[in-house]
Amino acid sequence: MTAAAMLSPATRGSAPPTLGAELESLADRLKQMTVRIHSRGDRFDGVGAGVLWPYREQSIVVTNAHVVPARRSDAVVVEDRERRVVTARVLARDVERDLAILSLPELPDEWPVPAPLGDAAGLRVGEIVVALGHPFGVAGALSLGVLHAALAADDRWLQADIRLAPGNSGGPLATVDGAVIGINAMIVRGLGIAVPASAARAFVAQVLGAPNEHAA
Amino acid sequence: MSPSSAPLASASKDPSTLRALSDDLAGAVERAGRSIVAIHARPRIPASGIYWRGDIIVAASHTVRRDQDISILLPDGSRGRAQLVGRDGGTDVAVLRLDNPPSSAAVVAADLAPDDALRVGALVLAVGRPGERVSASLGVISAVGERWRTWSGGDIDRFVRLDLNVYDGFSGGPLVDADGRVLGMNCSALARGAPLTVPNATIERVVDALLTRGHVARAYLGVAMQPVRLTRSVAERLQLGEAPRGVLVVMVESDSPADRAGLLVGDVILAAAGTPVGEPQEVAELLGAEDVGASLELSVVRGAERRAVAVTIGERQAGSDAKRRGRDS
Repeated sequence: MTAAAMLSPATRGSAPPTLGAELESLADRLKQMTVRIHSRGDRFDGVGAGVLWPYREQSIVVTNAHVVPARRSDAVVVEDRERRVVTARVLARDVERDLAILSLPELPDEWPVPAPLGDAAGLRVGEIVVALGHPFGVAGALSLGVLHAALAADDRWLQADIRLAPGNSGGPLATVDGAVIGINAMIVRGLGIAVPASAARAFVAQVLGAPNEHAA
Repeated sequence: MSPSSAPLASASKDPSTLRALSDDLAGAVERAGRSIVAIHARPRIPASGIYWRGDIIVAASHTVRRDQDISILLPDGSRGRAQLVGRDGGTDVAVLRLDNPPSSAAVVAADLAPDDALRVGALVLAVGRPGERVSASLGVISAVGERWRTWSGGDIDRFVRLDLNVYDGFSGGPLVDADGRVLGMNCSALARGAPLTVPNATIERVVDALLTRGHVARAYLGVAMQPVRLTRSVAERLQLGEAPRGVLVVMVESDSPADRAGLLVGDVILAAAGTPVGEPQEVAELLGAEDVGASLELSVVRGAERRAVAVTIGERQAGSDAKRRGRDS
């Protein structure tokens, strides 16, 4: 089926699920895995996002270094889509890579499951990508774009042609399948720039140990 | 490595419309990429170009700052050399000729979409090669209009405005549809940085003109003008009505059609070919390549007297593009 055929009104009504319904469901899945981060320091209050990151049985959040306070002792509050609030601790912070890991010691009963991770290395230029975040404080907003450039092995950043704003920082960049391929970090000349999920995964492994090290 | 033993939301791998669309778009970029080259003919980042046919590459004229021994990075990763055949500053189309036509199967001449593929709302990609790799942006065609004339006198078959980001180095690259067919050449220099596409029909016309004649015929008068309002007393004396507009001649090129017709600096042109004019652009719009040699009747105010001046429209000589500045016609 060609893209033109899929978008034409004739096929839209007769072949559910529609593109719109699929995007809605994708947005819903991204909202599940995205948290809002409040710092007690007033500078970053309420503008940051984070991703519920899979790591053994632990509950951690991966976000940008620039959305959490510099001092480890500073309290951070993490809020899920249902506005359930958890106090988190900054486990590690790497300003160079713009990554931070938060640990969530005590969780409410109904806490969302972590995000599925993908790998941007295999993605093709032009593939659709989506971002979820809280641009300018608007909670749970979806943006849609495409992968701008293929990720080479030595690339530190992932480039997406997608509209981001302050408040998307720390939130997920994902494929149409809902797999997280990056942590949105900044906007450079209109391009969305994300930390590749592979780099975030490596950072988590470096700080907490490889996920399967003590598995047996 | 298994990321976690914790329960995981799974990425959906079901066949879906969204996945199919995403694959189509990536496929379109891949196909179009086989015709997109990087052109090293200016400082800093390279610009993009389209491998048009045979040994011909189409590029955005404003990105080609040299005429000879231009280094081209071909889609298969090999490097070639090209020479400038000619350029048309009016449409921003430049034509380069490769010293050796590409032999690799990974380099394919642009697959041109028919003109009726230019439709408002069509999902399109701008694709460029501002370096070794292809990059893309997604958007829609936001407006399609009639034939128009650019500020620099170029004749463009359709007005095609885009709602998408044209990034650094994208000028000269193609606009492609969701099937990867080329709809035209993207350019940010024709409308104050707003992303526009020069349609295939215009490119074909300019390529043919540059290959056969080395330049694109362009009508000109040899004057620089600016908008002006006449005073009420002059308007009353000449019975021109309220707040009459015109264009003031601020420069007349020596031996130009305007000079030969006796037009002087300080003349105020009120109408051309019977059409009232208040902006230099309105005069420029009356000058098509097909009008070269024809007579243009100007209604002029000189020394508070009204008179008619007939100018025989001339043809601008090739090579004068670089010297042109601002709003002359």
